[in-house]
Amino acid sequence: MARFTLNINGKQRQVDVDPEMPLLWVLRDELDMKGTKFGCGKALCGACTVHLNGAAIRSCVLPVSATVGAQITTIEGLSEDGSHPVQQAWMEVDVPQCGYCQAGQIMTASALLANNPKPNEEEVAAVMSGNLCRCGTYPRIKKAIDRAIELSR
Amino acid sequence: MTTHINRRKFIRVSGLSSAGLLLAFHLPGKNTQESVAEEVELNAYLKISTDGHIQIVAKNPEIGQGVKTSLPMIIAEELEVDWDQIEVVQAGADSRLGAQFAGGSMSVKTNWDALRNAGATAKAMLIQAAANEWKVSNADCYASAGVVYRKGKKKGKPYGDLVVAAAKLEVPKDVPLKAPADYKILGKSIPGVDNLALVTGKPLFGLDARPSGALIAVLQRSPVFGGVVESFDATAALQVPGVVEVVEVKASASKMQNRSSVAVLAKNTWSAMKGRSLLQVKWKVEEGQEESNRRIRSELDKLTNQKGEIELRNDGNVEEAFANAPTVLEATYEVPFLYHATLEPQNYFADVKEDSIYLSGSTQVPGGIPGLASRITGIPVDKITLDQNRNGGGFGRRLTADYAVEAIVLSQQLKQPVQVVWTREDDIHHDFYRPAGMYKFKGALDENGKLRAWHLRSATTSRYLYRGSTESPHTTEVFPDGFPAGFVPNFKMEYSPVATTVPTGAWRAPGHNATCFIDQSFLDELAHAADKDPVKFRLELLGNEDKTMPYADHGGPNYSTKRLRRVIEEAADWGGWWAPPTRFRHRGFAAHFMFGAYVAQVVEIQLDEKNWPIVKHVYAVVDCGILINKSGALAQLEGGIIDGLSAALYGGVKIREGRTKQDNFDTYPLLRYQEAPRIDIQILKSTERPEGLGEMTLPLISAALCNAIFAATGERIRSLPLKDNELYRKSS
Repeated sequence: MARFTLNINGKQRQVDVDPEMPLLWVLRDELDMKGTKFGCGKALCGACTVHLNGAAIRSCVLPVSATVGAQITTIEGLSEDGSHPVQQAWMEVDVPQCGYCQAGQIMTASALLANNPKPNEEEVAAVMSGNLCRCGTYPRIKKAIDRAIELSR
Repeated sequence: MTTHINRRKFIRVSGLSSAGLLLAFHLPGKNTQESVAEEVELNAYLKISTDGHIQIVAKNPEIGQGVKTSLPMIIAEELEVDWDQIEVVQAGADSRLGAQFAGGSMSVKTNWDALRNAGATAKAMLIQAAANEWKVSNADCYASAGVVYRKGKKKGKPYGDLVVAAAKLEVPKDVPLKAPADYKILGKSIPGVDNLALVTGKPLFGLDARPSGALIAVLQRSPVFGGVVESFDATAALQVPGVVEVVEVKASASKMQNRSSVAVLAKNTWSAMKGRSLLQVKWKVEEGQEESNRRIRSELDKLTNQKGEIELRNDGNVEEAFANAPTVLEATYEVPFLYHATLEPQNYFADVKEDSIYLSGSTQVPGGIPGLASRITGIPVDKITLDQNRNGGGFGRRLTADYAVEAIVLSQQLKQPVQVVWTREDDIHHDFYRPAGMYKFKGALDENGKLRAWHLRSATTSRYLYRGSTESPHTTEVFPDGFPAGFVPNFKMEYSPVATTVPTGAWRAPGHNATCFIDQSFLDELAHAADKDPVKFRLELLGNEDKTMPYADHGGPNYSTKRLRRVIEEAADWGGWWAPPTRFRHRGFAAHFMFGAYVAQVVEIQLDEKNWPIVKHVYAVVDCGILINKSGALAQLEGGIIDGLSAALYGGVKIREGRTKQDNFDTYPLLRYQEAPRIDIQILKSTERPEGLGEMTLPLISAALCNAIFAATGERIRSLPLKDNELYRKSS
């Protein structure tokens, strides 16, 4: 067990955990932030995506000890009220079916657009291919990303 | 929609005829000057507060099929309120609401009457209350947007002002229902009621619903199906910080409930997983150590080479027809075991106390779990509370409550609240898979290319056989009334079940996900053999006469050839079927009736350099009766196509040495973003009763895809998934 101070959504949070514990479980079990989802535990599905210094990463395989000093943003911190253009677009297009993967999809898409405000189709596909949606909302995710690009202008 | 939080005095009043029950309690609040509202339950489906707030109950589990939005829409329509006037509230297990489950695409169709009546009855009572107050006939009053008006008057009374008086009235019978032409909510696109909560990461799912203080249980089950714990050593596991206890859980008598296992209980999920990885368990396995796809395949092959165990249909005389036909075709089709892969792994929470139980977690059968818990613990059902949360997918996996039993048994054993959490590996290893099957066809055409005889010998690893059901093992495996049965003068269908230790269950569009592939593929083969256009061949078979065909399986008791013909014609026209194919675009077609709905699809593919199909565009035409939620319906139909495509390209469980050999999404791939085709769907206008939509487009895509591959290459795909088909194995 070890103490860590993490910077999550602009706030300092203290935890006392196994240094190997992945960030995902620190968020969910220690800090009661349930927006980041457990899907595969092997960085294969993207449900656990958060931002680490602005880059989309899979929190299910990232040990908490590796996140010290970094700015961590989770779905809860993207915006408090759903006003982020990606969240807005997701609601406008009515993307979610079961909705379980969508926090991860939104975190991946928002990191992409923050770094590349006008990605082309291939650039979007290259990034979004890392996030599985078992319900098959891909066509709507595509529409919502196009809409988020418009809303961000 | 608004979230309604204020300090109010709640009074719940039930309609007089139901019990006259009056409950009152005070919410904590210092300021007694704040508004005091009474909350009145006019029936089990809705509550109206005296301050005008309206709550509508969502009775069934939300698994991504949209019923948390679509079912309340039906009530709101008849209640005559605007959608933004209401709050949707998820019901717990509540026997007053009838059956609570998600399966068979039945939520809309089986609740249609009850939900309309719930809304219309409440509306009638509110109108009656206003009429009584105004001392006029209720025929002189009407409701609009949550307000009752007297004809000719501009000012009306809102429902909130009428509800206390309305609750004192006798509940009327046979209230009038709205005509579809007057619908204001039904047929519109209403976004999912949880969308805001979902995009902001609120804890909506089963896995999110653990109260603090509960232990997490991660269980080690036998890698070989049916194995039983012989002994275990938990020394290393217990040394992991956070691990609290390691206990054995005995298997239930039922194969559909929990399996023999060792549970590691910890204060957090990571510790439980880590502890489990250090467990040493010895398993005792009595049968099935050698079970494999190869063994099952040879058994399926043997049984489809001989007379079937069950003869399901025998019209005319197929043997005679084959003997005399100028053209006879034979073909063998195969489908693999499929994994459900709900993105939220299985999980369940149980808090079994001395004389009460609290339950929550992801399931498609919330209505059945209290009974299950009662039988296990002896605690009566009326002392059991079950809350429903969103499910991160279902697809049939969560019709089986094995993991809920694990939580109930563990909580009872440890006298502590327990949340059982499955890892992805647990989920893939211990699923109840879509049965594997083999299908041998023989078809005969006459001199004019007319279909004269159809003979199917089928065998699958029957899921009803697996669970030891008293129902016939062919149930939901093959459908003796499905098209083209009844249109071929000589028609025979036989079936044989194969016993295996591999667990099987319902997988989205059970049975149809295999039979539509084989039937619609073989019809395509016959059309080509007859040198006829595949769509024209189907239409010719259906005939021009409008017929009502008997259909004994789910979705019956009959189906209409007129409606089936219409989706075929519309899809062919709309999907550009009649235009000549281009060098780069090839088309395939399929049409199917299932669960009461009619679907036809045109798929357009391009081939890459290895002849692998890139699905570019899918057109689907659907007749599902009255449309409830346009956006939700389209979402289901789109999702079904992508799910079916994913399974057709990649799905297939590898069984060797009595166990599943894949572990995660690297070895069990699913379709990803860049592979999703463009999808266009047309839902035909209809005033027929509404049908469900959660499963209906799924079965067609595999057939339409393989028919397109044939059109492009002349190669016929008869075995799924494509990635394991010899056509692609040899080229890769």
